[in-house]
Amino acid sequence: MTAELPPGLAIQKVDERIMTLNVGPQHPGSGHMRIIVQIDGDYIVACDPDPGYVHRGEEKMAEYRNYITNIPHLERPVIHDSCNALYPYVLGVEELLGIEVPERAQYVRVICSELNRCIYTMYWLAIYGIFLGHSTMFMWPAGDRELLIDLMEKISGARVTHAHFVPGGVRNDLPPNFEEVCLRQVNYFEKRIKEYAAVFYDNPILISRTENTGVLSREDAIRLGTTGSVLRASGVDYDLRLKEPYDVYEELDVHTNVMKEGDSYARSKVPWLDMLESCNIIRQALQKMPKSGSVRVKLKPNPKGKGLDSVYKRVESGRGSLGCHIVSDGKVEPYRLKLSVGSFRNLIALPYLLKGEKLGNMPSVYWSLNYWPVEADR
Amino acid sequence: MTNTATGIIRALNSGIKHIATKRFTLRYPEEKLKFVGDGYQFDPSTGVGIAGLKGRHMLFHDHCTGCQLCSIACEGVAEAIAMVKVPDQQKQNKKSIMPQIDYGKCVFCGLCVDACPFYALYMTNDYELSSFSKEGLIYTPAQLAVKPYVEQDSEIVITKYGATHG
Repeated sequence: MTAELPPGLAIQKVDERIMTLNVGPQHPGSGHMRIIVQIDGDYIVACDPDPGYVHRGEEKMAEYRNYITNIPHLERPVIHDSCNALYPYVLGVEELLGIEVPERAQYVRVICSELNRCIYTMYWLAIYGIFLGHSTMFMWPAGDRELLIDLMEKISGARVTHAHFVPGGVRNDLPPNFEEVCLRQVNYFEKRIKEYAAVFYDNPILISRTENTGVLSREDAIRLGTTGSVLRASGVDYDLRLKEPYDVYEELDVHTNVMKEGDSYARSKVPWLDMLESCNIIRQALQKMPKSGSVRVKLKPNPKGKGLDSVYKRVESGRGSLGCHIVSDGKVEPYRLKLSVGSFRNLIALPYLLKGEKLGNMPSVYWSLNYWPVEADR
Repeated sequence: MTNTATGIIRALNSGIKHIATKRFTLRYPEEKLKFVGDGYQFDPSTGVGIAGLKGRHMLFHDHCTGCQLCSIACEGVAEAIAMVKVPDQQKQNKKSIMPQIDYGKCVFCGLCVDACPFYALYMTNDYELSSFSKEGLIYTPAQLAVKPYVEQDSEIVITKYGATHG
């Protein structure tokens, strides 16, 4: 009887020592996804991540909307990092339509993008803290995020899902007196996140829990195609802001943070170092930004691409490389839109990292991959 | 071992310092955040918006021509705007139709404001739109014409004892 069943339905042989455990999708430790782990006692034998519970069909939806009305739904996958989520799409549409963006708008975009990176990373860090049972590290980032959310609210008028970037610039100029407020709050924010070192990153309890767990070697990190902070934590100096500068990043002095260890500790520390670097970039951008000028090119009501054309743009988001491939056939809607997200690429490394780890280390290894379930499912 | 001990003492010390720092939490119903400007607006002559909160809309009956551009802009986003007949006769509005907004659907992206070429639709600082029924979330053109009363005065103040809402 068993032989007649199709391969997926065949009853698996059960090893008495191995137990299959479903973590998620309702478990608070997994996000909107399921991790099927097979454990032998306390040790993980095999792991099968099962994403797809929050698939929204963003790519198909984009084919039925024009280039402007695509904006609100394309930032939904990562509402905390919505400016970075929109960035590759906006850059791509600008190339398709042949629009030159004013310099001031490019600086405003860089500021928004860096603020959003910090907002996302603080949220990620808060969840990383609570995964490890460190409730102070949940409260502090969740509170200090407010400083930057307030700045984004002043710029764009929304706390999350700003819908601020449009093809041709940004929706509105910075509010009056913004530079001063921004500088004051970013400086205080930087001072605050430096305090996290004492309570979290130099904490011997955290170090003993995360050091040498889930080690991803430099070769494996490249071979598995990981991006962003995961790649930099494994010793590869790769940041799209430096390697493929977009907008005004080449005029700014950007440094990358690289750690060689490749364990959970390094992967959790690199985003924190990136936040300190983001504060530097915001200060530089505020200084170098032209004090006046247009921030948005006036577009025709229903912009169209010029015939059959395709474009691929990518940016460095909070989770790594975020790419957008747009194919246009000369109509008001894109013919095809494909998002290539950093979260999904980093998730591929999870089964390799968890093999042989203790089950108790699973949350810290999983979340240190800088994975955002909703973005990976699109 | 000394490393472990000093590390734990540092962590505890950092936490103890927070007893003296100020409370950062915003006590929401009593305190309300202050926003820049009177809400998000758009200037069709330059094609650039004016910074402000994207809250509840405000409709100027004497500017609206019933051109439906806001409704068309919302079609691909939320389909929250419906054009309805209004009783009052305006000179510029021959068809006597004006937008009616369903805040159960609206995502507050403000693309309808960008679409309006007649300075008729703006957004305001009013964000407290909760209602006991779904019908209560549908704002008619008459309701949208009312300028909201907002009392928002709390701002982030940074002192040497930490940030607080003052």
